[in-house]
Amino acid sequence: MEFDLENPLPPWNENFPALFNKENDHMPSKNYIHSLISSGSNLAIRHKIASSIVDISREFDPFLPYLAVNYMDRFLSAQSIPDGKPWIFRLVSVSCISLALKMRKTEFSVSDLMDDGGLMFNSVTIERMEMLILGALQWRMRSINPFSFVNYFISFFKSDDKPSIQSLKNRATEIILKAQNDIKLLEFKPSIIAASALLSASYEFFPMQFQPFRDAICGCFYVIKEDLQHCYDIMQEAAAAGCSAAVLRSLTPANVLDFSSSISDSQSNEMSEAGISGSEIRGIRRQKIEHFATNNSSQLSQKHQ
Amino acid sequence: MEKYEKLEKVGEGTYGKVYKAKEKSTGQVVALKKTRLEMDEEGVPPTALREVSLLQMLSQSLYVVRLLCVEHVDNKNGKPLLYLVFEYLDTDLKKFIDSHRKGPNPRPLAPQLIQSFLYQLCKGVAHCHSHGVLHRDLKPQNLLLDKEKGILKIADLGLGRAFTVPLKSYTHEIVTLWYRAPEVLLGSTHYSTGVDMWSVGCIFAEMVRRQALFPGDSEFQQLLHIFRLLGTPTEKNWPGVTSLRDWHVYPFWEAQNLARAVPSLGPDGVDLLSKMLQYNPADRISAIAAMDHPYFDSLDKCQF
Repeated sequence: MEFDLENPLPPWNENFPALFNKENDHMPSKNYIHSLISSGSNLAIRHKIASSIVDISREFDPFLPYLAVNYMDRFLSAQSIPDGKPWIFRLVSVSCISLALKMRKTEFSVSDLMDDGGLMFNSVTIERMEMLILGALQWRMRSINPFSFVNYFISFFKSDDKPSIQSLKNRATEIILKAQNDIKLLEFKPSIIAASALLSASYEFFPMQFQPFRDAICGCFYVIKEDLQHCYDIMQEAAAAGCSAAVLRSLTPANVLDFSSSISDSQSNEMSEAGISGSEIRGIRRQKIEHFATNNSSQLSQKHQ
Repeated sequence: MEKYEKLEKVGEGTYGKVYKAKEKSTGQVVALKKTRLEMDEEGVPPTALREVSLLQMLSQSLYVVRLLCVEHVDNKNGKPLLYLVFEYLDTDLKKFIDSHRKGPNPRPLAPQLIQSFLYQLCKGVAHCHSHGVLHRDLKPQNLLLDKEKGILKIADLGLGRAFTVPLKSYTHEIVTLWYRAPEVLLGSTHYSTGVDMWSVGCIFAEMVRRQALFPGDSEFQQLLHIFRLLGTPTEKNWPGVTSLRDWHVYPFWEAQNLARAVPSLGPDGVDLLSKMLQYNPADRISAIAAMDHPYFDSLDKCQF
């Protein structure tokens, strides 16, 4: 039975209480998160391994590096590794990816993961590292992660319009994928990340429904309102920087509906270098959101031509 | 494995030997189960990875035997093997029932104890089913008991998923058929949670009777045992039965009165048992529904 990030417990009936009860077991420790914030070298190690994971897994869908980085964070949280040996970073990356591939039942060969890395590990070495990671994670490889909660929280969004729900979900998915890079968000439970991402997406796409959606989520037994607010605020700050380039790009008619296209950090840096202020960006964004909500793309493209 | 001192062999799990062992540093007594999931060329085998991580998740219920850790060792030929380390319980339901049937002091199991064990069994099975996992080989030997605390725990879980229902264990010991659901015996390949509920029913009756309800020694004999008590199934009470792969023309028996097979069981108990032993798997009671059956009304459920 392969592991599906949306359904860590392979259900025939969805089992959300169990997910909420267990999500704490699938998070890096507070000490680890603290060490990333306080120590530049720990942060650099995380960055090196995570970059290498993204690099090696570029042929696969984005959920694969997401899962591998989740394993990496939980592994580093339990086991410190020495700096100054780049091959160890590479070995951790390869092993996390290999475990993620196996959990998701993807056919692959370990040798596929090493073609252009310049470093070759034999299968025994990888196996030892896999076992080390499995031990550190106590074999909890069916990670309970934000994607596991998206369908739960989306049920609080009152709409029968399937395309709207799908666009909300797609945008939340992007936000969740991106949130993994932000160490300030590591301390939040997966369910809180999921709820915040959906709220952020709803604020962008369906601002009229934002308030009732937020109230419904806050009323959920498993959600601590203060945590949600805190997480949401951090996510908004990140999104303010991140969404801007997408807005500018989408101003060309061809891209109007491609609202959710992702943007790279370098693009957003270019924007800030170009002297576009945050409030200007937010202004543009809000304008666009309103138009998007009325679903009138032609009007939007005319307006900006 | 130098961390553990093997004390004695306590059983043959379907997939390997089980040892009672002591962890040297802590003195904790554990059950060591060697898996046959050998390492391959690509590191930890994907099947083992997925199965063990599932087992890890399931073992967080009080009514499922706890997986403490996984050890990785090289065998004599230098081949790596996985050992699963479980909490150790000193007895199982089979030994417990045997001790009430024979030996110096034969006596029935106390009705409250049967009720409590059955409730815990349903709770453990409901936990597995809610996680999408079928046990597929529930039997008294796989139900471990903590006699002091009166707790029952399901064992030998999970590793079965990647395999078909085993006919023979790796030692070629015949796997018992007594608890096997009729749809499995008739060659159905699309079975579901009902297979476990059938086994639960057989185990329930066995606790009451102190002997197996359907002690068949071949698949054919097993079916005849079932048909003689419950009547030969028909398209009427089990639509589709005659199309199952291994269906043949069987002698026709009328259903007997189930209460006579479990004479000491009250009407609520008989009703619950009959719901567990429905022919049509779709009609069989689920574990979660069974926990709400009136048979358990007199049980203090808060303790579980």
